[in-house]
Order: sequence, then C-alpha cells, then structure tokens
Amino acid sequence: MYDSIQEIVSAATESGNSIAELIIEQECRLSGKNRDEVWQRMAVNLQTMQAAVQRGESGQGVFSQTHLTGGEAVKIKNYRTRRHPLSGDAMMAAVQGAIATNEVNAAMGVVCATPTAGSSGTLPGILFMLKERLALTEEQMINFLFTAGGVGLVIANHAGIAGATGGCQAEVGSASAMGAAAAVEAASGTPEQSAQAMSIAISNLLGLVCDPIAGLVEIPCVKRNAIGAGNALIAADLALAGCTSKIPTDECIMAMDKVGRGLPASLRETGMGGLAGTPTGQAIKARIFGNEV
Amino acid sequence: MGAKFRSVFDIIGPTMIGPSSSHTAGAVAIGRAAYKLFNGPIKKVTVYYYESFAKTHRGHGTDYAIAAGVQGFLPADPRVPRAVELARQRGIDIRFVEEEGPSPIHHPNTAVLEVENDQHVVELTACSIGGGSIEIRQFVIDNITVQPAGPLPIIVYIDRGKQHPNAVELTGVVEKIAPFYRKQSLKGPVNDIYEFDIKNYMSAATIQQIEKQFKDVICL
Repeated sequence: MYDSIQEIVSAATESGNSIAELIIEQECRLSGKNRDEVWQRMAVNLQTMQAAVQRGESGQGVFSQTHLTGGEAVKIKNYRTRRHPLSGDAMMAAVQGAIATNEVNAAMGVVCATPTAGSSGTLPGILFMLKERLALTEEQMINFLFTAGGVGLVIANHAGIAGATGGCQAEVGSASAMGAAAAVEAASGTPEQSAQAMSIAISNLLGLVCDPIAGLVEIPCVKRNAIGAGNALIAADLALAGCTSKIPTDECIMAMDKVGRGLPASLRETGMGGLAGTPTGQAIKARIFGNEV
Repeated sequence: MGAKFRSVFDIIGPTMIGPSSSHTAGAVAIGRAAYKLFNGPIKKVTVYYYESFAKTHRGHGTDYAIAAGVQGFLPADPRVPRAVELARQRGIDIRFVEEEGPSPIHHPNTAVLEVENDQHVVELTACSIGGGSIEIRQFVIDNITVQPAGPLPIIVYIDRGKQHPNAVELTGVVEKIAPFYRKQSLKGPVNDIYEFDIKNYMSAATIQQIEKQFKDVICL
C-alpha cells in the first residue's frame, strides 16, 4: 500500500500511469477483487453522490429536522440564474453541490462519506462542477474518485479523518486536499501538480476547528463544505498555474496531525468551544435538547 | 501491524444515512460488532459513551445508530433513524449512559456496550476512528477478555468445549485465505477463544467459506 504522497507521485511519474490507475491496481491487490468489481463499487458511490446533490437542489430543497439548515442550495441555484456571482459561476456551482449534499446529510438523507459524512459535500461539489466545465465522462468521474480516495488514504493513515481527533481540518481539510489533487488530474495536470495542490489545500485549512452547534452536523458544517470546495479549486488552479507549496505534501500531512493533537477537546467535536460555545450556539442547543445537557 | 485504513472505500464511502460517519455509520458498525459477537436473541443493551461520543451522541444520531447495529442493520438501511423505537418494539431494553471521565482506551469516540439476555453477557469496547471505520479494542465473552489489535477485520473463534483440533485446522485455513499478522489464544474454564488480526479486508466469498466450514466463527 502506498504509504506517502511522495511514493504515489514517484510511481505515477515513473510509470506514466495516472494516480487513479495506481489506486485501482492497489485496491485490486489489497482486496483480492477484480477490476470490474472495484470499478462498479465506485460507480455506485458516484450515483449516491449524484442523487444527493440532485435531491438537495430540487424543488424547495431539503431541511433538517431542527430547521437549522436547509434550502440554501436552492437559494444559490436561483442566485446563479439571476446574477453573475462575484466569485464566478463555476465557483458557485461547486458551492451549490457541496451545500446540497450536506443539507441532505443534515436531514438524515443518504450520502456517500468522502471521507466523512460531515465533509461529504466537498468532493461532489468540485466533481459535478468539473463534470460540466471539463465535460467529464462517467469514466473520468470515477477516476476522479479513485484519485481522491487514494491520496485520502495516505492522509487518513498519517493524520486521521475524524473531527474528534483532528478537528475540521481532518474532515473538510482532508476532503479539500483530496478534491484538489483529483481536480488537477481531471484537468490533465501532472502527478507532481496534484501533490502541490494537496499541499496548498491542506496548508490553507490547517488548524480549522470542529465546533458543531448542539453537537449536530449542521452549523457550521454545511457551509464549511463550501469553503472546502472553493479552497480545493483555488489550490488546484494555483498548482496548474505552476505555483508551488515549498512544504512537501507528506510534511503538510504531518503538520495536520500535530496541529490536530494540539487542539483542546473543546474544539474537537464536543460541541463545547468555537461557534458551539457562543451565546447563540448555547441558546440553540438549549432550545433543541433542553437545558440538562 | 496493519494500517488503520486499508481500502479506497474507507475514504470514498460508505454510502450511509447521515449525519456523521464517525458518530452514525461508525456507531452502526460498533453495534453490528456487538450483535455478531453476541450471536443470539438480545434482551438488554447498555451503551456507555465517553468524550466526544458522550457530548454529541444526541445531535449526531449515535443512539439510533448503535441501536441499528445491535439489530444487525447496515449503515444505509432506511430503518436506521427509527432503530431505537424498533429495538424497544422488539422488546430490547436499550439504555445510553454519558460517562464523565476519560475514555478507557484513550480515544475520543469511545463506546462500551454491554449486551445481554438471561443466559449470557458480551461486553465490547470500541472506538470510531473516522469515515465510518472502527477499531475493536476489547471484548469479553464468557468471562474471557480479548484485546485485539484494533483495526478490522478480526476473526473470532469460540471453541466450545475446547475442541483443540478445530482451532488448529481453522488457523491453517485462515493463514491460507486471509493472512493474519497476530493470533491470540485465550483459555477459559469452559471455552477457549481464538482471535486473529487479519492483514487485508476479506471478500464476501472468503468470509462465507470460513463461516461455513467452522461453526462458532465470527468475522468482524
């Protein structure tokens, strides 16, 4: 199993294969399954993501039981038809997909965790925008997910992907880095550029805390996925432009791990610190669960 | 020692009912592990939560997730959000306890489950490490305490009546079709327990082959 981003980049560069191809081969080797089975399983994940985005942006949108979140993917969709978004239509298309997915997640709908449910919007937001912008085929979209998953595996094993251990940087930060690497590959960038995009994406979300109001996965989680998607696209564009991170990706991952370990428990998915600890955050918690918790 | 995450589908996946992969899908997986280890009709479940699990289980749906798991549901099962009611309708007494102190296994997403009926009790200590993946750090069956390495897959063989030759044969089969990096044998007064920490995820066919050939084998 690839144990570092450096190993993946070297293997891809030397063999001339895409990162996606290396990860498919690795998965077949580790699981003993054939290529078709592995491919089909990822195709099902892609369908789940597509269905969640569609559900979140259709009609009035979806709303969570608490009504703290919902309906905003539809607001973004309408805004895009009425106005020219300040950050560009492609950026807001990605944000729309990200928010749609996390609104479905908050409403206890079906999502594909990428890498987690709380960060499940970041990758589909990027992917379905790129589908339109780069006219990606289904095959290219599935390859995008293998690339994202393969580099995410390295992050998961060297830093972690749980908000309770590493903060939101481990969830949305990881998703953003995975999306940045895969976006570069989808845009025909080099494996080295994918690694640069990852480094930039991780660096820019380093230290992001996990502070969910009332211990729900709603505020700020839904909109954190908007920044995860936006950050990934900016990082991918920077890398494709030839900008570099200076700090190697594997060291950025180490830094993420250390920063996560340094975060106090109140900022690691306990619903105590950060936004959850604000007077309004506490008032929302009391309204939903009563004062005894 | 195996890596904590060993498949691209640990990262892209699972397909699940929200809202949290660690506190919902992972909690379903913890419940399912207890369900498989118990392997019989359940009367009572007591869930002890620690740290992040204790603070956010209500908002994250951890209660219904564990209730779903102990009934054998998968994370994407549409019954997951109603699983606490369903468990109670089936006559399972299920309770949730928020512990104040630190996790006994030093992980913020820790749950200890006591599953019982009139005949026996199984205790399971597990943590949810992110993205729906879990580690099983300890379980107690028939008063025998087993401490696996943590990451799945884990194969457990309960050797009822200490039929040692079966365990030898099982070890040979496991070595061949599902290589392991650690094996433990634990002696109890009535039964022995064998535990294998497996290197890679097993295919459904491999699990089926092992479970068919050996009674009282549990693949987690």
